[in-house]
Amino acid sequence: MYPFAFTKASNTAEALNAGRRGGRYIAGGTTLVDLMRETVERPETLVDISALPLREVTVTERGGLRIGALVRMAEAAAHAKVRTIYPVISEALELSASAQLRNMATIGGNIMQRTRCTYFRDVTAACNKREPGSGCAALHGFNRTHAILGTSDSCVATHPSDVAVAFAALEATVRLLGPDGARSIPFADFLLRPGSTPNREQSLRKGELITAVEIPALPRPLKSGYMKVRDRQSYEFALTSAAVALHVRGGVIREAKVAAGGVGTVPWKLPAVERHLIGERPSRALWAEAAKHAVDGARPLEHNRFKAELLKRTVERQLRIVGGTK
Amino acid sequence: MSPQPQAAVGAPLSRVDGRLKVTGKATYAAEHDIKGVVHAVIVDSTIGRGRITGIDTRAALAQPGVIKVISHLNAPRLAYRGTENDWPDSKQLRIFQDDKVLFRGQPVAVVVATTLEAAEHAAHLVKVRYDAEKTSTDMATAPAGEPVNYARGDADKAYESAAVQVDATYQQARAHHNAMEPHATIARWDGDQLTLWDKTQWPMGTQKDVAAVFGIPNDSVRVISPFVGGGFGNAIRAWPHIAIAAVAARETGRPVKLVLSRRQLYFGVGYRPSYEYRVRLGSDRRGRVSAMVQHLKSETSTYENFIEGVLNTGQMVYNAPHVRQDHRTVPLDVNTPIWMRGPGYATAAFAIESAMDELAHELDIDPIELRRHNEPEEDPSNGLPFSTRRLRECYTVGAREFGWNRRDPKPRSTRDGDWLIGTGMAVGTYDVIRNGAQARVRLNADGTALIQSATSDMGPGTYTSQSQVAADALGLTMRNVTFQLGDSTMPTAPPHGGSQTMINIGSAVQDGCDKVRKQAIKLAVEDKDSPLYGVDAEDIVVRAGRLHVSDNPARGETYRQLLTRNNRTHLEVLGSWTPGQARHSMYTYGAIFAEVAVDASLGLVRVRRMLGVFDAGRIISPKLADSQALGGMVGGIGAALLEHTVTDHRDGRIVNANLADYMVPVNADIPDLRGIFLDGGEDLEADPIGVKGLGEIVYIGVAPAIANAVFHATGRRVRELPITAEALL
Repeated sequence: MYPFAFTKASNTAEALNAGRRGGRYIAGGTTLVDLMRETVERPETLVDISALPLREVTVTERGGLRIGALVRMAEAAAHAKVRTIYPVISEALELSASAQLRNMATIGGNIMQRTRCTYFRDVTAACNKREPGSGCAALHGFNRTHAILGTSDSCVATHPSDVAVAFAALEATVRLLGPDGARSIPFADFLLRPGSTPNREQSLRKGELITAVEIPALPRPLKSGYMKVRDRQSYEFALTSAAVALHVRGGVIREAKVAAGGVGTVPWKLPAVERHLIGERPSRALWAEAAKHAVDGARPLEHNRFKAELLKRTVERQLRIVGGTK
Repeated sequence: MSPQPQAAVGAPLSRVDGRLKVTGKATYAAEHDIKGVVHAVIVDSTIGRGRITGIDTRAALAQPGVIKVISHLNAPRLAYRGTENDWPDSKQLRIFQDDKVLFRGQPVAVVVATTLEAAEHAAHLVKVRYDAEKTSTDMATAPAGEPVNYARGDADKAYESAAVQVDATYQQARAHHNAMEPHATIARWDGDQLTLWDKTQWPMGTQKDVAAVFGIPNDSVRVISPFVGGGFGNAIRAWPHIAIAAVAARETGRPVKLVLSRRQLYFGVGYRPSYEYRVRLGSDRRGRVSAMVQHLKSETSTYENFIEGVLNTGQMVYNAPHVRQDHRTVPLDVNTPIWMRGPGYATAAFAIESAMDELAHELDIDPIELRRHNEPEEDPSNGLPFSTRRLRECYTVGAREFGWNRRDPKPRSTRDGDWLIGTGMAVGTYDVIRNGAQARVRLNADGTALIQSATSDMGPGTYTSQSQVAADALGLTMRNVTFQLGDSTMPTAPPHGGSQTMINIGSAVQDGCDKVRKQAIKLAVEDKDSPLYGVDAEDIVVRAGRLHVSDNPARGETYRQLLTRNNRTHLEVLGSWTPGQARHSMYTYGAIFAEVAVDASLGLVRVRRMLGVFDAGRIISPKLADSQALGGMVGGIGAALLEHTVTDHRDGRIVNANLADYMVPVNADIPDLRGIFLDGGEDLEADPIGVKGLGEIVYIGVAPAIANAVFHATGRRVRELPITAEALL
């Protein structure tokens, strides 16, 4: 670990001040400290933002939810409103990490977490994300867990978050506060595909702070849920996952929100699947037909070819589970 | 002689060191509080093969707290006089002696600093330049060496003429032990005397290996290792970091602590080698196997040839008259493998037991019936009678307790929603390893006893089980018996591995305690002031520290009374056991049963329940044995479904050198597990206390039982471990 300075911000202004001077924000630290120990991350200054007043979960005026950036994963998962309005968020959180990590890690930190690509985390390997221009060892290396969607020749790393898949499905908004004031950006624009600059992962400006993630209101009744497919039954990142939310009225699907995880360089929204569902009546045949579109544009690698088929089946299964057809 | 009453042995006692462990008071290698200790961090090679052309240590040395950087450029030339261990040609402790790099991750330098943080950071700042050569780490493409062969009968001819043939090749991935405790050493020199506080399963082995490095007498090295946080075989041999710690301590004149990081544990210590194992079975239509032809290939390093007992199973588990085997190792640019739980035998079991399952399916015979048809009456590899071989009982008890007979033999015949359900079974065998051992027994005048042997306790419960043997042999309660281990100055002990500790140490403890008890009895019957004066020594037993006439408990006295009156502070004996010539074939056996569920569309395998029935001889400590059975099955689930060390053959890098990417089972993966040890299993041909060892047998056969259950569930035969979703989609 490289030496670093550590400061604590007691209010938002202090934090922004430190952030503007190049300080890195730290809350739960469950990703950042690991990466510092591997010398992947070498921040000169850490700014502890745990004392900031960003720990509330509130229902917005229109009936959506605002989850403060410093709400712990465990708190968000257990929150009554989250559980009742958006079970998909609770489920995604509870299928993440371990109980100990969920007690430490925050929502803001979760969507900032960096890839689990082992070449990224091994400083002796070529990695354009860690060291722009050095190449991508994963492209022709061991890439079983890597992405098949949204990849480029520069980077095939998967975004590891589960709850971000739910946020992507539900078309959440990220609220930011920076030296120039507050702004909101759609979740789909917050995380960046690698393109030729995989080192740029979020559309954050220097010193900007995530204050909350906002989930828009959706028509009710809304059924939603998250499914995660992995080798072992706990404490593993997804091979594939699916976040699904459906609003069915009069036997017809009126709203469909679907995204996939474990397969994309960012949480992968599936608009083609959604389009296929809206206006249709739930049926096994519909789920299968819609799920076929989950892999539109997929570009599998040597060791993750199976993910394309697995993703289709994962989406199909989760549509069936949420859609309730036997 | 009246037999000593059995009170502690056979009782389901909890660990005597359990409280120490759960309260954090058990001291593991890195936790010893050594005054003035400084910290060492190894710099690992970042190439897989080649030469070091330069090392720039300026930035590292400029860091506050850094004391020294040692590499081949400034390390002392070491004596390497050759060790007396199992590895006479040992090369792996040749640290910093030249510029050659033989595998990726090889130590090329070490940084010593006053704090761990400074040492870690400075290690990162050491700049090593290399002249890299192409790396060869792929067993599939690299040339193999000369084979080790075995043959009886004419297996090729018998196979060719067999009515039914199975020909299948099985692949098993490299696996790492991944014990919770990292390998760690603290080294301190006091003049010419070296003390090592080390994580080891063999204090005297490490002692000899390290003494050989420095060319000093064995007695000049003392190894202390009271607790080991899991070993699974990896701590049986001394690894480079131990020699590095010792060199660093000598060069800096300070005690040096060196703890391997989790990443370093994937190349700084050993692993179970990957295997390719082809089996050809020839059988008649009723399931009588006539021929077994086996071709094996496994990985080793370029500098040492690692061979383990992988061939035995295929020679003795079934009664085939015609057997041929050849085993080739493939030298690669990797570090040397080492034994890992059920070494060799677990590998053989996966191949042979899978092939037998394939044959059973081919013949449409129940897998247990097929095995019964091929059960030998004597060891077919050498004609020796079996000491005990109770596999038939394992089948009977296992089938009954598991509900095997309700099984529909047709693959893919049972479904539960999205899940396909299947059951499978497999056989395990493991050698009874007899090396002999010594144990010092001291009975104090206060009625307590201290027993010592230079063995280890990596988790199975040596402290507890040896105390149980001692308590009964001395006639003391458990409370008054203390067993100590983990110090090379204690009486001689073989490696704590290969399920041999109970056999060897237990027999030595029994011997020592019997002798001390008899000394005390002799003292009493010859002592005019003793109530036992004149009694036939053979008629005296000791119970709870009191000697008395066996059929007249009122007549007697305590050890304390006897020794105090005779002005004896203690009685002491060096117990020992040396095995005689083996006149029997001695193995442990097990039959493992597994039920799995396989998601029909997602390919996920989940073990639902498992049962192991074991013939492991006499069981000294049933609660510990049960824990071993559970742990063995958990390990087997890992081997079957999760564990796989991945090498990037482009440069020899271990890709998943951490516990997030190298997967072991978590609690959620562990279902209903049950182990049954057959009653009345005393095997007195094996050793005087009738035990056969059990740490390996509980693991062997688990993976093939699961693989066979996966076949039964899905109709898909997966011949490569671990079995992951992609194989079943």
